[in-house]
Amino acid sequence: MHRGGLSMPSDQPVATGVSSEEIVSKLKNLGVDHVICIPDSYQKTLIARLTDDPDISFMIACTEDEAIGINAGLYIGGKNPVLVIQNNGIFASINTIKAIPLDAKIPTLMFVGQFQRDPMLPIEESKSRAVRMVEPTLETWGVPYYRIETPEDIGNIELGYKLAHDTLGPVAIIIGAPTI
Amino acid sequence: MERQEAIDLLAEGRSGAIAVATMQSIYPWHQAEQAEYLHIDASQCMGSAASIGLGLAMARPDKRVMVLDGDGSLLMQLGSLVTVASQQPRKFFHFVFANGLHQSTGNQDLPGIGRFDWVALAIGSGYANALKIETADELLVKLPSIWNMEGPVLIELSIEREAQDPRWAGVPMASQSAILKEQLAAL
Repeated sequence: MHRGGLSMPSDQPVATGVSSEEIVSKLKNLGVDHVICIPDSYQKTLIARLTDDPDISFMIACTEDEAIGINAGLYIGGKNPVLVIQNNGIFASINTIKAIPLDAKIPTLMFVGQFQRDPMLPIEESKSRAVRMVEPTLETWGVPYYRIETPEDIGNIELGYKLAHDTLGPVAIIIGAPTI
Repeated sequence: MERQEAIDLLAEGRSGAIAVATMQSIYPWHQAEQAEYLHIDASQCMGSAASIGLGLAMARPDKRVMVLDGDGSLLMQLGSLVTVASQQPRKFFHFVFANGLHQSTGNQDLPGIGRFDWVALAIGSGYANALKIETADELLVKLPSIWNMEGPVLIELSIEREAQDPRWAGVPMASQSAILKEQLAAL
C-alpha cells in the first residue's frame, strides 16, 4: 500500500490490466468453486471468462449484501466461494460486511473493481470519490486489502485468499485497471 | 396466529431441515431447542437470512433448508427473492413471519401494508410455489404437504401483533457458523 504527495504527470499508466485467464487459473489453483458477482465494468472480461467455466459455478446476485450472505452459506456448507464486485459495492454493503465476514467470522474474499478510475493516475489522485475512498473505508472497518495494479501483482490473490481463510474474515483484492 | 404457535409447529415438523432464523423468530426458536443442531441465526444483518439460506441450499442440495424470515427484514433485501429464484433451489422453504410491523424497534408499521402481496411477489420473482397461511390449524394441516412442494417455496405466515418487548437469544453467529460447518461436514 502506498500513500503520499502528488506524483509527477506521466504518459505511462500507473495501473495496467491483468489477464482474466491468469486470475481464473489462480482461482482454480486455490480450489475456488463458486463466484458470486455484482457486475463491474473493470472486471467484465473476467466475468465473461467465468460465465461458462466448467469448474467454477458463477452466479449474479442483485446486491452485494446478498452476495456476502450467499458466500457465507456456501462456505458453511463446505464450498469455497469468492465475490466479484465494484468499489461502490463496498459502500453499499458495510452493515453486512460488519455482521457476516467480521462478526460471524466468515472468510470473504472480494475482488473489487475500481470503477471510474483513470489508470493514468494514482488511486489517491483520482477524481472519483469512490476510487479514493474505498481503501480508507476498508481501513476504517479493519478489512485488509491488496492492490493489483499490474500483472506483477497477481500473487496478491493467493496472499489475500490465505489471509481471509487464516483470519476467518474479509479481504479485498483491489483491481486497479480493467482486466484483459 | 401467534408467533409462538407457528414456531412450535415448525419446530415439531422441522423434518431435519437446516434452519436460518432472524430477528424476533430467533429467541423462540432457541427456546424451542431448535438452535443446537443444523441452525444459524442471521443476526445484525437484517434481510440476509434468505441469502445465507440460499448459499446453504446451493452447497447442500441434498438437504432441506428452512428460512424463518420476517416481513420487515425481507423488505430490506427484497431483491433476494429474485436471486433465490434465479438458482431454483428445490429444497428451499422460505417462511415469512408477516405481522406488518418492525417489532424489534417498537412495532412501527411497515411501509405499504395492505398494498403489497408476498405470494404475488414470490411468484412474480420466480419462486416455484407460494402460499399464505392465516391460522395455526391451517399450518398444522398443510405443513406436511409443504415439505413435498418443489422449491423454492415462500410461505407467508399471518402473525398477530405482540405487545412484549423484543427478545434476543444473544448467541454469536461466529460460534454458530463454526458449529454448523462441522455438523454439515459430518453428514
